[in-house]
Amino acid sequence: MIVLKYQKRDEARFISHIDLLRHISRILLRAEIPVKRSNGFNPHALVFFSPPLALGVTSMAEYLTIDTDMPAEEVLTRFNASTPNGLHAICAYGCEKNPNLQARVSAADYIYPYPYREIDFSRVVIEYQKKGETVKEDVSSKIFSARDEDGMLCLRLATGGVNLRPDRLLATLDGIYGIKGSVTDIIKTAQYVAADGKFVDVDDILS
Amino acid sequence: MASFASEFEKLLPEVEKPGRYSGGEWNTPDMSSPARGDMCFCFPDLYEIGMSNLGVQILYDIVNRAEGFRAERCFAPALDMASKLRERGIPLLSIETKKPVKDFTVVGFSIGFELLYTNVLYMMDLAGITFRAEDRKEDDAIVIAGGPCSVNPEPFAPFFDAIVCGEGEDADLELLRRVTEGREKGLTRAAILESIADIEGVYVPSLKREGYRVKKAVVKDFENAPYISKPLVPTVESVHDRATLELYRGCASGCRFCQAGFWYRPIRERSAKRCASLAKDMLKSTGFGELSLCSLSTSDYTELEALEDELSPYCRERGITMALPSLRISSFKPDMAKDSRKSSLTFAPEAGTQRLRDVINKNVSEEEIDKISVAFEAGYDSIKLYFMMGLPTETDEDIAGIAQICRRLKQLYQEKRHKRGLNISVSCAVFIPKPCTPFQWEEQISFEEMKRRQFYLRGLLREIKGVSFSWHGAETSVLEAALARGDRRLSYVIEDAFRAGACFDGWSEHFKWDVWQAAFEGRGLTMQEFTRARALDEELPWDFIDVGVDKKYLARERELAYKGVTTKNCREGCNGCGALKMGRCTIL
Repeated sequence: MIVLKYQKRDEARFISHIDLLRHISRILLRAEIPVKRSNGFNPHALVFFSPPLALGVTSMAEYLTIDTDMPAEEVLTRFNASTPNGLHAICAYGCEKNPNLQARVSAADYIYPYPYREIDFSRVVIEYQKKGETVKEDVSSKIFSARDEDGMLCLRLATGGVNLRPDRLLATLDGIYGIKGSVTDIIKTAQYVAADGKFVDVDDILS
Repeated sequence: MASFASEFEKLLPEVEKPGRYSGGEWNTPDMSSPARGDMCFCFPDLYEIGMSNLGVQILYDIVNRAEGFRAERCFAPALDMASKLRERGIPLLSIETKKPVKDFTVVGFSIGFELLYTNVLYMMDLAGITFRAEDRKEDDAIVIAGGPCSVNPEPFAPFFDAIVCGEGEDADLELLRRVTEGREKGLTRAAILESIADIEGVYVPSLKREGYRVKKAVVKDFENAPYISKPLVPTVESVHDRATLELYRGCASGCRFCQAGFWYRPIRERSAKRCASLAKDMLKSTGFGELSLCSLSTSDYTELEALEDELSPYCRERGITMALPSLRISSFKPDMAKDSRKSSLTFAPEAGTQRLRDVINKNVSEEEIDKISVAFEAGYDSIKLYFMMGLPTETDEDIAGIAQICRRLKQLYQEKRHKRGLNISVSCAVFIPKPCTPFQWEEQISFEEMKRRQFYLRGLLREIKGVSFSWHGAETSVLEAALARGDRRLSYVIEDAFRAGACFDGWSEHFKWDVWQAAFEGRGLTMQEFTRARALDEELPWDFIDVGVDKKYLARERELAYKGVTTKNCREGCNGCGALKMGRCTIL
């Protein structure tokens, strides 16, 4: 098993998660990385993703697990030679078995396009459209922490099974700051797995 | 220019499927060096549809390979994006460099379907391009059209400075070259148009006088004609999201209703050797998991078996599925279905009785239809059948024949599989008489008659368990027929309809029948004037285009149709249609 850590930015921000699955299988075919296939009635390539990224958000830390016997370094080089602009792998980790990031990741850091300031997140109600209806939700329990990242606001949000889409906080933050932020200016910087009541960076688990 | 790009990017998160507009597809050529002349290929439908168009990809590739020239793309934006562009005052931009479409040297529309005419205006409107060629200013882009609708360009001719009739492989680049040179030399617009008028296939509507003729452009050396070895890989899933290889151009079957079958003559094949090498190049460069071997009638490809033998192991090793659309019923083999994951097969008998199939020269016999049972043996439980309604000489008996075929197939299924449960889906389009076919003089049945026959067939099929029935809207069929055989007067109708809100007419949820009716009335016209029967000696709006196939040949075929006499497949010997003078028929 190889886990690639990759960036999704520029034009690639606008590739939806569903389309991304198709893109990845094409990249692997172009790169001639031999991927093991499932044994079912409709065999499919054994590749696994970290939780879906909201459309339009830049990420510096997405993960792709590939079931292959090819050495990590070679996978990395071949992969990068076959990706469209905006998809780029930064490093490759070898591991024994599938780290199952889709299920285990529980938080991620997002840098927002606002200068850092202390904000009271003890009660945050967001509104969004779901199947044509307006939904109100108190998401304060899904905002784990806020910190200053080079002067910008950085939030750690629930990601995965319990999830807070980073773009859905924009309207609230716009209200607080009195400026309009764009989803395309949000940058995801890290993903975390919960262990012993702490958040551990996925990179630390893999290396 | 740069300001539009950043303004435009801000819109992306606000619209549905932003990947339609973001660009950056794999295999996009390098656009960083300056070009002497550039061309924007505009496709008047959504990204997902346009990216599946083989013609656009071939022409795009040819221009981008030529030194000093560049091609970019633009698709019709969805309505949500269009209203945002209007709101922010951003003109329509190309996908690759986000350059305003109207600033290209040449703007080229690919028009494949009559119901896209209003979408051409929709794009011109968003781009800020003046609709009528005669109203354009000296420095405005040269706006051209091409694609299958160039068979009869008259209804939209006034919107274009030039129209490429036929195949654009040679004509498009030559046209771009001459327009660019004309601009470099400071020629007037009129002089530039004159300078392109003698390119084979190029029709300049402003130069049309009594006796004006245009010869359809034809690729002579199809074997070595450029083909996309590196197709663009769509960002958003397109309708045909796969590698497509064109095996040959033209068709040997001669079905009398089929425009493509006559328009793309002479028949030109590519060798299996070249096809296989092109297919592998495409698969390698794209990573597509599916390869489609495409043509008007794939079973008729001389070297099909050799090609399959060559490609099958290659595809199997890589888990790539191979699809063979447009197969004849008689050539279905159980092993074709073996590797395929599809659960349904599609066949097109087109008509319900042998008599009517002979009239239209669809050479499918009852015995051949019975051969569908081979598919039942191979495990298929579901089949799709395509028919047409309103064909010349059709009676209720022919329509009842459709139900008869369904019953027969159910019986065969039961014999082979010893159970019931076959699913048949019957799809029935309305016959539309098209230019450049033996039926170009025919009348289209009336709106009321379409409704009556559809109702009649629906009643018959309802009595058979497991059959579902879908049909084409009578409204769109009448409009398509009127536009297909129209003349220049219709350009005003199209313009009025667009201004009154018609666009995306091919999408049933957007189609506005009342707007179109009012547009015809407003110009003192009716659709029936254009769907009526034409006299054999009547001058037809598309007669000035030399398509190779003689008008006399079409008339003779029509006569044979009325006698119920079939014409043999071109492979069994030349029928003398006249297309030979345009280039060698490679099957002879």
